[in-house]
Amino acid sequence: MNDMIICRCEGVCLSEVLDAVEDGANSVPGIKKRVRVGMGYCQGRVCQPIVRDILESKLGNGTKPHLQRAQNPVRPVILGDIVR
Amino acid sequence: MSYKVIVAGGGLIGTSIAYYLAKSGAEVTLIDSKDIASGTSGSCDRAIMIQSKKPGPTLDLAIKSAALYQDLEEELEVDLEYRKSGGMIIIETKEELKVIKDMVALQQKSGVDVRLISGDEARKRQPGLSEDLLASTWWEHDAEVNPLKVSFAMASAARRLGAVIKLGSPVRNLMTEKNRVIGVETSEEELYADAVVVAAGVWTPQLLKPLGVDVPIIPRQGQILVSERLPPLLRTGILSASYITNKLRKGASREAADPFGVGLAIGQTHSGSLLIGGSRQFVGYNTETNPEVTQKIGEVAVRAFPQLAKVRIIRTFTGLRPYTADAKPILGAVQGMDGIYIAAGHEGDGVALAPITGKIMAQIVCGEEPEKDMRAFSLSRFKQ
Ligand SMILES: Cc1cc2nc3c(=O)[nH]c(=O)nc-3n(C[C@H](O)[C@H](O)[C@H](O)COP(=O)(O)OP(=O)(O)OC[C@H]3O[C@@H](n4cnc5c(N)ncnc54)[C@H](O)[C@@H]3O)c2cc1C
Ligand code: FES
Repeated sequence: MNDMIICRCEGVCLSEVLDAVEDGANSVPGIKKRVRVGMGYCQGRVCQPIVRDILESKLGNGTKPHLQRAQNPVRPVILGDIVR
Repeated sequence: MSYKVIVAGGGLIGTSIAYYLAKSGAEVTLIDSKDIASGTSGSCDRAIMIQSKKPGPTLDLAIKSAALYQDLEEELEVDLEYRKSGGMIIIETKEELKVIKDMVALQQKSGVDVRLISGDEARKRQPGLSEDLLASTWWEHDAEVNPLKVSFAMASAARRLGAVIKLGSPVRNLMTEKNRVIGVETSEEELYADAVVVAAGVWTPQLLKPLGVDVPIIPRQGQILVSERLPPLLRTGILSASYITNKLRKGASREAADPFGVGLAIGQTHSGSLLIGGSRQFVGYNTETNPEVTQKIGEVAVRAFPQLAKVRIIRTFTGLRPYTADAKPILGAVQGMDGIYIAAGHEGDGVALAPITGKIMAQIVCGEEPEKDMRAFSLSRFKQ
C-alpha cells in the first residue's frame, strides 16, 4: 500500500512522501525538495493535489498547505521557439 | 555543561554550520522560518567551480571547501550526486579572451592549474559546442553536487549528532542583555544560548538591524531554465566568459549595457535535466520569473550550443543571491557585541563554500583558532 506511485513523472512512491513529512516537510515544495515529487515533465499537475491532500491529513491543522506557484512556462516549450 | 549554540537559517550555510558545530560537541538548535533549503539554497545551480572564483581570499576558501567535498558523501553516508565533472569557461570574443587570460594567469599563481584551450579542443571535450567558439578554459578538478541533498544531509547528520531542528519557526528577535546576545525569540518561544549564529542569507540584515548593526547584503536575483530529461549530453560544467564579467561587476555600474546581467551557466543534473542559467539583477526581494530574461538566457544557450534549440523547457525559477559589494561573504563575530556571529553573503558561491564555511564558523564560535586568517571576511571591513 505504501508503495503506491504518487508521482508518475518522477516515479515517487507514497512511502517516500510520508518519509518527507516525517523529516519535517511542512509544505508541498518542502516534499518536492526532499523526494522530487512534482519536479517531472507535467510539473506536478497530476501529483500535486494528491500530495497536498496527504500533507493536509498528516499535518492535520485544518489549514490548506500551499500549492507551488505555477512557474512559467505553463506548458513545456521548445527553446528555439522562446528565442525566436 | 556543553556549549549551547542557536543557528538561525537552514540553507546550505546554516545546515553546514549546525553539522560542524554538532560534530565538535556543541549543543545545537537549528531554526528556520520555513524549512531546510526553502530559501536560496533551494533555487540555485550545482557548481563547485574553483576556476570561476576571484583569486584572493575567496579562492583560497573555495579550494579548502572543494577538498572537504571530496570526502563528504562518505562522511555523511549520503549520495550527494557529487561528481568531478571538470569545468570550462567558454570564450566568444577577443575582449573576453584578454580578460580570461589575465584571470587564468592569476589562478595559476594561486596554484590552480587551469589551462586555456583552443576552440577545437573545447569542441572535442564537449561535443555540440558552437563552431564559432574562439577558445575556452579547462580545469579537470571543478565539480558539481546537488545542493538540496547537501542541505538535507547536513541537517540530518547534525540531528544524528544531537542537534534539535525547528522548522516553520521564524526568529522574530535577537534577545540581548547589555552588549551580549543571549538568545532568540521565535514565533513560539524564547530560546537561550551561549552564542547565536545568523545564517539567514539575504534575510540576514533584517535580523541584525534592531541591534543597530548594519549588514550590507542585498538580494541579486538569478533566473534558471530547466529542460526536460535528456540523455547524457553535457560532460562538464560550463560558464561563458560574460558570466564571469557580470559576476565581478560591481553594483549597478555598467548595468545599462545589459540590465539582466545574462551570462551562460549550464550543466546537466543526475536526472537528465539541463539547468540553463543565468541572470544577475537587483530587483529587491522579487522572485517572479521574467519572460524577457528567459528569452535572453535561451539566446546565449543556443548560441553556445546550437542543438539546444530543439530542447523542451519545462519550467523556470529564480533565486536570490546574497550579494555584498566586494564579492566576499561576511563570516565571523560582530565587533562590539558578544555572543553573536554572522555567516552570510555568499552571492553565487554558497554551494561551493558551504562545507568550509561550516567548519570555520564552528571553529570560531567554539573559540578555537580558525584554520585560515578570516580578517578579509569580517563585517567591520565595510566600515572603512
Ligand atoms: C540562480 C542561482 C544559481 C546559483 N548557482 C550556484 C552555483 O552553481 N554554485 C554555488 O556555489 N552557488 C550558487 N548559487 C549561490 C548559492 O545558492 C547561495 O550562495 C546559497 O544558497 C546561500 O545559502 P544561505 O544558506 O546563505 O542562504 P539561504 O539558502 O537563503 O538560507 C537562509 C535561510 O534562512 C531562513 N530564514 C530567513 N529569515 C529567517 C528568520 N527570521 N528566522 C529563521 N530563519 C530564517 C530562510 O528560510 C532560509 O532557509 C546560486 C544562486 C542562485 C540564485
Ligand atoms: S506526476 Fe508528478 S510531476 Fe508529473
